[in-house]
Amino acid sequence: MSSFIQAVGASIPQLDSDEKVTGRAQYIADLWRPGMLHAAIVQSPHAHARIRGYDLQAALALPGVRAIVTGDDLDAAHRMGAFIKDEPAFAKGKVRYVGEIVAAVAADTEAIARAAARLVRVDYEVLPAALDPELALQPGAPWVHDDAASYVKVFDAGTQGNVCSRTTLSEGDVAAAWAQCDVVVERRYQTQAQAHLSLEPCGALAEVDAQGRITLWSANQSVFRVQANVCESLGLPMTRLRCQTPRVGAGFGNKMEAHVQPVLVRLAMKARRTVRLILSREEDFETVRARHPFVIRMKTGAKRDGTLLAREVELVLDGGAYGDDSPGVLGYALLMNVGPYNIPNVHAHGQVAYTNKMRFGAFRGFGVPQVTFASEQQIDEIALQLGLDPIELRRRNLKTGNAPWFCGQQVASNGLTQCLAMVEHASGWQAARAARAQRAQGDKRIGYGVATSAHIGGLLASGAIVRMLEDGSVLLNTGAVDIGQGSNTVLTQICAEALKIAPEQVAIASPDTDGSPYNWGTTASRVTYVAGRSVVQAAAEVEKKIKQHASEMLECAVDDLELRAGGRVGVKGVPGRELPFAAVSGRAHWAAGGPIIGSHSWVFDQKTVDPKRAVATGLPFSQIGIFSFTALVVEVEVDILTGKVRVPRAWSAVDVGRAINPQLVTGQIEGAFVQGLGFALTEEMVWDGGKLANPTLMDYKIPTFAELPEVLKAYIVESHEPTGPFGAKSVGEIGMNAVAAAIANGVADAVGVRAERLPMSGERILQALLQPAGAAA
Amino acid sequence: MALTGYHRPATVDEAVALLAADAEAKPIAGGATLVAMLNARVIEPPALVSLAGIAELQGLSAAAGGGVRIGAFTRHRDTAASPLLVGTLAVVRDAAGQIANATVRNMGTIGGSIAFADPGLDYPPALVAAGAEVEIAGPDGRRRVPAAGFFIDWYTTALQPGEIVIAVHLPPADALGTGLYVKHARVAGDYATASVAICRRADCAVSVAVGGCGPAPLASAEANALLSAGTGDDIIARAGALLQALADPLDDVRGSADYRRALIPRLLQRALRQAEAAPEARA
Amino acid sequence: MNLELQINGETARVEAGQHDTLLTVLRDQLQLQAAKRGCNQGVCGVCTVQVDGWPARACLSLAHGCAGAQVRTLEGLHHTPAMQALQRAFTEAGAFQCGFCTPGMLVAAEALLAREPAPDAAAVKAALSGNLCRCTGYLKIVEAVQAAAAALRQGASA
Repeated sequence: MSSFIQAVGASIPQLDSDEKVTGRAQYIADLWRPGMLHAAIVQSPHAHARIRGYDLQAALALPGVRAIVTGDDLDAAHRMGAFIKDEPAFAKGKVRYVGEIVAAVAADTEAIARAAARLVRVDYEVLPAALDPELALQPGAPWVHDDAASYVKVFDAGTQGNVCSRTTLSEGDVAAAWAQCDVVVERRYQTQAQAHLSLEPCGALAEVDAQGRITLWSANQSVFRVQANVCESLGLPMTRLRCQTPRVGAGFGNKMEAHVQPVLVRLAMKARRTVRLILSREEDFETVRARHPFVIRMKTGAKRDGTLLAREVELVLDGGAYGDDSPGVLGYALLMNVGPYNIPNVHAHGQVAYTNKMRFGAFRGFGVPQVTFASEQQIDEIALQLGLDPIELRRRNLKTGNAPWFCGQQVASNGLTQCLAMVEHASGWQAARAARAQRAQGDKRIGYGVATSAHIGGLLASGAIVRMLEDGSVLLNTGAVDIGQGSNTVLTQICAEALKIAPEQVAIASPDTDGSPYNWGTTASRVTYVAGRSVVQAAAEVEKKIKQHASEMLECAVDDLELRAGGRVGVKGVPGRELPFAAVSGRAHWAAGGPIIGSHSWVFDQKTVDPKRAVATGLPFSQIGIFSFTALVVEVEVDILTGKVRVPRAWSAVDVGRAINPQLVTGQIEGAFVQGLGFALTEEMVWDGGKLANPTLMDYKIPTFAELPEVLKAYIVESHEPTGPFGAKSVGEIGMNAVAAAIANGVADAVGVRAERLPMSGERILQALLQPAGAAA
Repeated sequence: MALTGYHRPATVDEAVALLAADAEAKPIAGGATLVAMLNARVIEPPALVSLAGIAELQGLSAAAGGGVRIGAFTRHRDTAASPLLVGTLAVVRDAAGQIANATVRNMGTIGGSIAFADPGLDYPPALVAAGAEVEIAGPDGRRRVPAAGFFIDWYTTALQPGEIVIAVHLPPADALGTGLYVKHARVAGDYATASVAICRRADCAVSVAVGGCGPAPLASAEANALLSAGTGDDIIARAGALLQALADPLDDVRGSADYRRALIPRLLQRALRQAEAAPEARA
Repeated sequence: MNLELQINGETARVEAGQHDTLLTVLRDQLQLQAAKRGCNQGVCGVCTVQVDGWPARACLSLAHGCAGAQVRTLEGLHHTPAMQALQRAFTEAGAFQCGFCTPGMLVAAEALLAREPAPDAAAVKAALSGNLCRCTGYLKIVEAVQAAAAALRQGASA
């Protein structure tokens, strides 16, 4: 029997390490089926146009072409959408953005499919396009959706014209509070569209069996969202579709909702053959989704002693052509806009605008990196005006202990104070700032910036099934997709710890809508907390059943029994009286009781809004998650000749409740930091009219090895969340939230330029440096 | 007569003859640029003439008169590591070492790079500053063109149809001088937003060229004369203004035309100060 | 079959159009799928293989242009001490998350360690400069390559 090593808290390597380092991991583009067809998409060249008809003659005549689907193969009644059912499987009747999928071809080879796709003719009637979100909200702007108000919605969205959704959150009396403020800061900020740039482009493979039932493999963050989106948009009963998952090459939000799965399934159904579709990098850029551009009007007020009193924020989100997760991003950004501070009077409101651009959707941080860029700079500006140290001002207002969040949700664990102390200490904050002028060399200026943030882990439903196999080992099934963040490993560790067995004794099933319990998805930093809690509960059921059997086999009371390390159950205080799990499982399988199964299923249920404290209108979620916290200090170097900003050193601390696997936790913090560097400094999707001008890696630049800071330190704080599995909360997104804000504060510290736009490119910073003092970038 | 397929000539003359046979055929060197264009379906040549097997195009060598000959098929990796490129010629080595990234430098060649003539490339300003000559072979024989006359316009060089680059000839180095390439880009490995190549001889004679700020590298004899006579900030500003006046930059995702213009005197200052501070210069 | 290539020490006979890349041939005809397609423009590095011992982009190498060259993919490098040290070090250091960039990283790192037994962080970053990673933030990769180099040196001196 294997010896038991404590599983939770151990930095064990990812369970799929072997296949990844030998190149044997099978991603969607590596899957083959005999006789498989290859698909290619046809994209819209117009930002907004009515489709009058299709001419498929030339395309169908190409040898090797087996099937083509167009909007004519769809029923207009069927639409999908996470919050607003506004999106067809692919374009029907209208195209709403350049790059939108209009048709798809299945052929013997990818080359033939692509050649045929180029021969598909579509007759368009070009319409005026709405390209700017603020202009799209003006009267007279062309409507992206002819009758958005008529779409089915899952909440009170207020959809009309080009208003996709609108939300308001308020606490206290902001109008009265301004009068009591001694200092007020007010600015308008703009943040850019950021591409997820998972190194694996989106793809899917659909097999149709003899009964017409479809098995769909795809690069995804949720087999259940794939199933729902495909079935809703094609009008299929959910029993007709089985969704499975290969290895996934990251997602960051891009693969959480549908990409090519609906069009591919429709194509496979028409061809009655297995078909695989893999997007090119350019298609992935143009077709799928990206981070919402934000326009942020923010105003913050404080008293002379540094007490923050009032905050008003107005957001306009560019939602693109379809709602996707936009209402959620708006609501969440408003909820998080204040940051982890006690500001008693807050009025937060915003709208998502439909525009004729690609849909904008979930991307790590879900709106918080954008609002934090504004909020944390305003905190710093107030500190500067009051002559207070930026960390000291934050301390005076920091949410600590059990102070509830904006709108009233209870907070059970809060390690923010430790996070802030950690990065303050590690960076040598005060001494470093005092010495920054001396550290400057030649044309480089040094500055230091701090920022804090929070993020939820939670949202919606998860489940777990734990089955004991005949030999006493365990099969765990949660339906949670591991996209590389290591959830398979973490959930295995949790299960192993709960049953006091080695992780090697646990196998984890691949997510499969046929066999897995419902798991909403790998998103919202939720899997460790939400699925993990289910794993603990399901394991507890298994423990109960083991003990029931053992009490009969050992002729003792259930309460006299304990689980022992290594997969045994025995009588407390009597080392010799025990049974291996195999014996218990054998009895269950062959003699009495039936095979041991434990299961659990739940929906996150802690309310977001306390109606006695706050007023909420159009909030698309009523329960969202529990809070993790972070503090970040960066050292920034500005080249005053070119304006280019670099981060030589950074210290990031995150309160994760409990680190189930510390190495995977620091991996998330480091990876999110570098992705945040890109968001802050170099990444920007640029439109030329309605067309994306830089849909290639030549033109859209993410950080490389060279951009990694010389010193990047990730610190884990454990505040032990009482409701979390072994005290764990979340870490997936939070490491990104404060990066752009901290760097902006560092730039202001270094050269006195206040960034109002992202990214803080060399050009924008130099432009501001060449203006009279006090210019914004 | 139309050519198809992949051809592997063993000599320059064979290569020239194949290209002369079909105007649609394209020469391929390292492939780093051409294959990317093939993959994107920007070009679809019916025939390819590989230059990989031609011995004459390989390697760097010391020339009889004291200069350096770089065969057209020399990979950036080898140029970036060549011990022959010392003193003022280090500008070419420095530029080669900043092209793209290590893996692309294993593939791309100097001939392929300069024949493509993307204004964001690194070799053009370095070769202009160094006073290089480009040797060309074609159906009418061989000829040499000074680098400044080789880069004519966006993606346009002095190469006539059917001609290929066979070597880059560099004049003798001033071993006690300095050569360096200052590149400003958004991230490491990107094309330059703007760049300055500088050769500074031991007697303080300076030759500079600016990249990324127009259809061809910017160079000005007047600016060179100013910088050779003095190095104060005001002189740099005047020389920078002369080069700015020649600039015709694009607005693109790497930067606006205004930003590129603004960078010229600033990068010039950086290049000059670095050249002055170089160990060889102080010796 | 119109082309003979030397892949992982063996002769492979393939059918390649003149515009087919090495990446297409490796993945579609030879079932060597460790090299991935991430951009097909030579920027991301997930297609990195070794050609005559040097890291190269399979997506920018024409199949016909590789005739006569020694091509090694990750599948053909498992036996080298450097690769084994790297695979162990990457696993222990957590130097991958989704794993999509990992084959290209390992191939480039193996070539580095074959030439440079004691690379510092700057040398590692320079050698891997052509390999993008979106998940890890690069830090653990640098640590893993240096750990592998150290392990190799220890093993060699043992």
